[in-house]
Amino acid sequence: MSAETATAQQIADREMIARIGRGDQSAFDALYDRLSGPLYSLALRMLGDAADAQEALQDVFLQIWSRAGAYDPQQSSVFSWSVLLTRSRVIDRLRARGRRLRVLVDVEEDPTEAADASTAESVADTVNKDDEAVRVRSILNNLPSEQREVIELAFFTDLTHHEIATRLGQPLGTVKARIRRGLLKLRERLRTRL
Amino acid sequence: MITEEQQDQAALYALGLLDLDEAAAFESELGASAELRNFVRELREAAGDLALSVPSQSPPASLKRRVMSEIVLETEQSAPISRRYPSFAWAPWAIAAILILFCGLLALDRARLQRELANIRAADPLMQTIFFTLTPSESGPADAKATVAWQPGQQTGVIRITNLPIPESGRDYQLWAVDAAHKDPISAGVIRVDKNGVAQIRFKPVEMAQQVKAFAISLEREGGVPKKEGPILLAGTA
Repeated sequence: MSAETATAQQIADREMIARIGRGDQSAFDALYDRLSGPLYSLALRMLGDAADAQEALQDVFLQIWSRAGAYDPQQSSVFSWSVLLTRSRVIDRLRARGRRLRVLVDVEEDPTEAADASTAESVADTVNKDDEAVRVRSILNNLPSEQREVIELAFFTDLTHHEIATRLGQPLGTVKARIRRGLLKLRERLRTRL
Repeated sequence: MITEEQQDQAALYALGLLDLDEAAAFESELGASAELRNFVRELREAAGDLALSVPSQSPPASLKRRVMSEIVLETEQSAPISRRYPSFAWAPWAIAAILILFCGLLALDRARLQRELANIRAADPLMQTIFFTLTPSESGPADAKATVAWQPGQQTGVIRITNLPIPESGRDYQLWAVDAAHKDPISAGVIRVDKNGVAQIRFKPVEMAQQVKAFAISLEREGGVPKKEGPILLAGTA
């Protein structure tokens, strides 16, 4: 997806971030309401502790406030920028504590995750963002297991690709290829939402 | 055309898995290829969407209040320097100047008060008077008492004595000033009590007393002596 083919939500996000860059607190308030849920959920998933996740989220939003002026729409959407910022801050915290792997959820064995596609549908009827969440979970769950495994390790933990290779007992090239293929499949399948 | 190796690096870059050197090398490639930049952007979007795969949780409302408070605080602290800091720039100098002025005023006021105190002391004899209470020594009459009012500036004093019996014939009581600047006590004259053992006499030491530490009464030969010879009967400090 290029910057020129942005969705209405992405355009609205860009306008909000531009206003935040000019010190508009009401725009920040609105962006917080839009992003705090998914960013908090991500931080909680990675850190496994509500208090830590809240501290991380506070750091992230303060960074959004201070760095909004430097946001470049050519590089990523506001949502992806915020997600990757959150992930970066969470990894900083994980590494600072010396915790190599805080939480690793096996989607297939997690009853909550296994039920997501069905249980989330009722919520998705009323909230668009939940539609999107259900869809992303479905796409992720439908990746080949070896690709989903490396994607989840690469995204939800602080392991490097070298460490993932060691952990899985796979050659580094294999791990790189699985990450590439998995991410490309996600991209292709998510593209259809447009 | 994006090579497979570039795609591998792009995927790792989008997920933030490259180390600093690898990332720097890849960014130099990005700078040269709009196609590669667009590819990375798409991978980033896909990576960002992974966050949506996590079961949704809402942060507590208190967190938003904390964040908004921080924002307001940060905004206040980062207000334009031209508006905020001039006052802080000159404030220490202003405070120093005020302190210097205040100290100067205090010094002037202290000098004025000292002058006023000196004037008051000069005008009021009581302010210049040092009182000494003399009590009997072991060889002195037990009931005898004496009080000396000494005015250093005038080098004079008054002594009042009670219950001091009249000395035997050929003897007199003699008053001495024990001065810090003199090796021996300075004679302040012979004292004669009445039949009731009372005396009130104005005296003046025979020599200048710099700093009288005590007064004493001794029993001496009649008419007094230039240097103390007899026993001390009464003595006391201020």
